[in-house]
Amino acid sequence: MIEVRNIEKSYNGTVVVNIPELTIATGEAVGVVGNNGAGKTTLFRMVLDLIRPSKGEVYSKGTNVAKSEEWKDYTGSHLDEGFLIDYLTAEEYFKFIGDLHGLSDGDITERLLPFMDFFNDEILNQRKYIRDFSKGNQKKIGVAAAALSDPELLILDEPFANLDPSSQIRLKNLLRSLREQKRITLLISSHDLSHVIEVCERIVVMEKGQLVQDMQTNENTLSELETYFTV
Amino acid sequence: MLLTLLAHQWKANSRSPVFQKSLVLNIILALLILYFGAIFLFLGFNLDTILAKAYPKQSPIDIFNGALLFYFLIDLFFRFVMQELPVLAVQPYLHLPIPKQKLIHFVLLKSVPGIFNLLFLLIFVPFMLSAIIPEYGTGTALAWLFAAIALTLFNNFLLIYFKRQLSNKPMLTLLFGVGVAGLMLLDYAGAFSLYAVSRVVFGALLLQPWLVAVPVLLLAGVYVLNYNFLKAHTYPEELRVRENKQVEGKGIVFLNRFGELGKLIELELKLIWRHKRSKSVVTMSVIFLFYGFIFYGKDTYMDGFAMLIFVGIAMTGMPVFNYGQFVPGWQSAHFDALLTRRISPYQFYAAKFWIFVPTVVLVYILTLPYGVFGYKIILINTAAMLFNIGVNLFVVFYFSVYNKSRLDLSKSSAFNWQGVGASKFLMTLPLLVLPSLIYAPFGFMGVPYIGIATIGLLGLVGITFHKPLLQWTANRFVKHKYKLAAGFRQA
Repeated sequence: MIEVRNIEKSYNGTVVVNIPELTIATGEAVGVVGNNGAGKTTLFRMVLDLIRPSKGEVYSKGTNVAKSEEWKDYTGSHLDEGFLIDYLTAEEYFKFIGDLHGLSDGDITERLLPFMDFFNDEILNQRKYIRDFSKGNQKKIGVAAAALSDPELLILDEPFANLDPSSQIRLKNLLRSLREQKRITLLISSHDLSHVIEVCERIVVMEKGQLVQDMQTNENTLSELETYFTV
Repeated sequence: MLLTLLAHQWKANSRSPVFQKSLVLNIILALLILYFGAIFLFLGFNLDTILAKAYPKQSPIDIFNGALLFYFLIDLFFRFVMQELPVLAVQPYLHLPIPKQKLIHFVLLKSVPGIFNLLFLLIFVPFMLSAIIPEYGTGTALAWLFAAIALTLFNNFLLIYFKRQLSNKPMLTLLFGVGVAGLMLLDYAGAFSLYAVSRVVFGALLLQPWLVAVPVLLLAGVYVLNYNFLKAHTYPEELRVRENKQVEGKGIVFLNRFGELGKLIELELKLIWRHKRSKSVVTMSVIFLFYGFIFYGKDTYMDGFAMLIFVGIAMTGMPVFNYGQFVPGWQSAHFDALLTRRISPYQFYAAKFWIFVPTVVLVYILTLPYGVFGYKIILINTAAMLFNIGVNLFVVFYFSVYNKSRLDLSKSSAFNWQGVGASKFLMTLPLLVLPSLIYAPFGFMGVPYIGIATIGLLGLVGITFHKPLLQWTANRFVKHKYKLAAGFRQA
């Protein structure tokens, strides 16, 4: 699904991401972990063609994401609040995203149904603009909007951050059911090691812009990661 | 799709918190727009008669055409100073399945209905109706108007292209301004007449209406230039106006001598220098130095005093009005931090006082060359300078405890109404008018110079007693600081 080749990004001579190779197969769920400044978000931005790599390319389904815009049709993503149109209401935003993918109002309502628990009655019918929601609720809107188009590839940056414990667990279940039912490819980053292990079957560790570990999750993964991050 | 994006743009504007929050401000704004709109309209319809009276030997259309190239150059200069780049609004759309070409067209087109592009129509359209149509017929007049619109939009897109290429270099803007002023001087001296060129160029347009194709082609060219540039750079980090990212952590050694007060002044200077909004306040104050040219040297104003006092107060006090009206909102983002540190309210205001004093004196020195129009100007400006420091500054401080709205420093201040409340207008007016009122009785009694001395003297009294006045300000601040802090915490 995703193929990263010799990608490098540097700012004023400082290399922030340098990944010779990373391949994500269709249907795979990959979790990226790493401390602040490890380059997770920069990597995601390059995969989404939001940052021009200094070197190298990212291929999605075999086409270069910087050259063609096909990937946008089957990719859902939410990295931060910058992805939201904050002067719309949540409903208007969902409608807008739905329109882009040719969904009817009925489709949108139907596709949001699985998110109702996750929304916890705090998102829809609130009569306020997205910018007035709390960070956690903004994240819920972003994640739901990313999944709205039934994407084949879903990219989320720290989806669990800012969420309350119940919402974190609900999101975890949502992501898992999305994978089981629709076989989507998932690329997420997280600082919460246990959550990311539960959702993803493959964990990639980044440090100072490099991929330092790439492992399949098993019962030992959590303790391995904890050892790795214990300084 | 373009329509949806434009609808979003409309929502972004009509739903912006600034626009929604203050009804009073919107009313004042609407009145101002109506007022200036009416003035421009009136001017537009009567311009040919006015010009015919002022220069009976020439045709009004010739004069108007002659001024056009200057107008477009000045327009470009003001755009350099004030117009914002419409860029970051595309960020939420970049990851969505919307073709980039559409986003680029959207970014470019949404700059068209700006104030700079619409205001001029209020003069050009009436002038066309009242002067050009009777002389040349509707078809030619429309060609002329289209040429003017095309050139305005040409300026619009040229500016967007240059601003994105060159980033914000104030020196270049200044050089451009000096260049335009130089052209005017050359014209005045008779060495090279842009006026004549302009007259010939637009005169030709009226004789050969098909020449409208030239400005339209220019417009198309600059649009394509922008389009191609954006097409190659649709990445948020490249779209942003390039700024010099390297931060220098330099202190100002000279200020160390003043102890904690010096530290506070240094902090505030860094705040001013490192934020867009405060920097543009500085720019506006500099531009305002040229305000005098409107009044000085004209007999109607030079004979009297009241108007000159007003001009003097406005020029030497511009930093106080512009920057002071938001005090202490400039610190709103880190106000809690200031309150919990070892800084006394007295020091806080003393630091502000000692930033304003040298600034006002500097501005005063810069206005001294106006003395060539008459020594009286120097006298008046001296009194105005003293009054601004000794009285107006403390009036500003007095009202500062009511500035409860948070200030967003990252946006330029031109046409930025964020954090501006009705109280700002109520405060600035007396500051500007008060000195003229003080002068009025002396003017009626026929002793104008005593009136000016009184204004200066009042200022001197304030300066002499600045310590108790600062203490008094600080005491008021202590009483109001909880309300201020609560207001600033609200985004």
